[in-house]
Amino acid sequence: MILLLLLLVPFAAGVASWFARRLASMEAINLAAFGLTAILALGLAAQVLHEGAVSTFGGILYADALSALVVGLTALVALLSGVYAVGYLRHDRSSGVFDDDPHGAPPEAKLRMYYALTPFFVAAMMLVALANNLGVMWVAIEATTLASVFLVTFYGRATSLEAAWKYAIIGGVGLSMALFGTLVTYYSARRLPGADTFSGLNWSMLAAHAGQLDKTGMRLAFILILLGYGTKAGIAPMHTWKPDAYSEAPVPSAAILSSAMLNCALYGLIRNFALADRCLGGGFAPRLLILFGVLSMGLSVPFVLVQTNFRRLLAYHTIDHTGIMVLALGVGGPIGTLGLMLHMTYHTIAKSLLFLCAGNVFQHYRTDVFHDIKEGVIRAMPLTGAIFLMATLAIVGMPPFSLFQSEFLIVNAAFLGGHTLAGVLFVLFGTGVFAGAVLHVGKLVLGPSPAFPAPAPPRPWRNSALVVLGAFLIGIAFWLPAPLLALIRGAAQVVGGQ
Amino acid sequence: MTLPDPQFGEKLITLMAALVLVLQIAMAGHRWLVTNIRIFALQSFLLAAIAATIAWFNHAPHLYLPALLTLALKGVIVPRLLERVVERVGIRQEIEPLINQPLSALLAGGLTLLGYVVAESFQRPEGSPSPESLGRNTLAVAISLFLIGFFMMINRRKAVTQVLGLLSLENGLFLAAISLTYGFPLIVDLGVFFDVLIAVMVLGILVHRIREAFDSMDVSKLDRLRG
Repeated sequence: MILLLLLLVPFAAGVASWFARRLASMEAINLAAFGLTAILALGLAAQVLHEGAVSTFGGILYADALSALVVGLTALVALLSGVYAVGYLRHDRSSGVFDDDPHGAPPEAKLRMYYALTPFFVAAMMLVALANNLGVMWVAIEATTLASVFLVTFYGRATSLEAAWKYAIIGGVGLSMALFGTLVTYYSARRLPGADTFSGLNWSMLAAHAGQLDKTGMRLAFILILLGYGTKAGIAPMHTWKPDAYSEAPVPSAAILSSAMLNCALYGLIRNFALADRCLGGGFAPRLLILFGVLSMGLSVPFVLVQTNFRRLLAYHTIDHTGIMVLALGVGGPIGTLGLMLHMTYHTIAKSLLFLCAGNVFQHYRTDVFHDIKEGVIRAMPLTGAIFLMATLAIVGMPPFSLFQSEFLIVNAAFLGGHTLAGVLFVLFGTGVFAGAVLHVGKLVLGPSPAFPAPAPPRPWRNSALVVLGAFLIGIAFWLPAPLLALIRGAAQVVGGQ
Repeated sequence: MTLPDPQFGEKLITLMAALVLVLQIAMAGHRWLVTNIRIFALQSFLLAAIAATIAWFNHAPHLYLPALLTLALKGVIVPRLLERVVERVGIRQEIEPLINQPLSALLAGGLTLLGYVVAESFQRPEGSPSPESLGRNTLAVAISLFLIGFFMMINRRKAVTQVLGLLSLENGLFLAAISLTYGFPLIVDLGVFFDVLIAVMVLGILVHRIREAFDSMDVSKLDRLRG
């Protein structure tokens, strides 16, 4: 029941917002739906921790600890970026940003689109995490792309169209490869009992019989899946849509794209990897993951170092972290998978927080180019500046923040697993990204400024989202609640198959 | 009623699959946009026929629905939508590929060979007359369709032709699905068709807006976002 509600609540909110008359009711519908979704996600987590994996409708919807973790993170980001969006879009509207669009729709139509598409987007992400059937999961991942394309074109600029075109076409090609991979997985499972029924593509069934899958087929399937869902997650060299889409979408959408949707794409990869690895054994699938992971990390370094635009900086930073998570999945073992799940959790919080901070800076100065901002942000906007700097330090892995812990676990697992070269490169690239990000953001926040900068107007909606996420980030650095840790451990065990 | 002869069915399917491939190569080599869309429609008709044939000769009645959906969606609705987009944005009819037509057709032929090589390494003799014996040639064709569709997307600059490349690539997927496993479980098939329909609408709207904003459909002009 809870599984079904998690899908229906955001979906119904999307429909309701589409038909709502007034802007205030659209905002209220969104906030109510995301609040309810967050409560349901907590309920699901409690149920999974208490009873183990749950499923409904004869196994169509299925949730274990990994699903519950992804659902929880998605709900958290959806709720907080929903709160943020209210302030952000009101500001956009009152400052006349929507009037710049020469061909565009009236502001009301744009806002309606935002408030209707975002819940659909969230509903699709929930379906990704809750679908048991790998085919249905593919349909849901494709649906996340389709629901978010028009969020990228939200501002209707020529550059947003370019970003959306790349996003849709590159994503489309990538996902067709993933569908091919899913098909080959289905083919490899043709000898299992019940292969020709609906449940023939159910992950829980395939995972239980992974040893009997066709090995040649699974090898081909994994390559296709890695390329496909890898494109969606934005691992190098299929990452090119990412900086464009993240910097053109409205900031609350970018926060969802860079954290929750990334998790969903990785989730697809993780589920399929678990099958391939259990079927094939040996180093085939892990080696591929490590290769692509290190490549993504290495490729993001130069772009982070020379970046002039802070939203694109964050996007390249996400590519780096996608690489870290893919590497962690490849390294595997109890420590590697635990590091992966911790990292996914921490990254979701820190990266969405960073985007929200960047949104405040962008709206205040109306630019996202570093050197166009002539004063230290912390003077004009003390709260935003301080949190921006803190989140940057957190995400590059400074202790005491938790990303240090998860990255340390992953490096540790890499060396223990004998992937010395990957471990060394990880540290090397990590240093490069550290230098680039801290330098750029440090200068932006702490730069020289006039003695009395113009004070920023109050932004209650935006800043409350910022403060809550910031408090989360500080909180988990020192104290990880026991149920959350249990959930993360459970998710790691789902990957490892213990 | 006599039992349908599987041998005959297999020959029929192979013949139609070969035609599908010929159409794909023709699409890769042809210069006119509207002709391209019509070739795509014809190809989708043939695919629907293949699905129906497999359903009849191999007793897989659940394939009739995907066949019908392909016919309606990719054979009629999607080509209509694309033609309307072309009409409305009023672009020049020529495709202007990056590589000239004869060479494109030649490359498409080369990709077909590659498709056969990949399919060959994937197929192992297993004896039992299951889907895989039927799929032998069809799988090669499917992989070739996939590769040629990919090539068409890289080779073309107009937004609509890229969409066409993506769709023909998906036709390759559909062919692989029906020949390898007699299609996905029904609910997945329905979901995939739904996604394709939405994707075409989304891309159509994007094409329209790009045309308005850039006064052109040449996607090589979309080059402002760098670094």
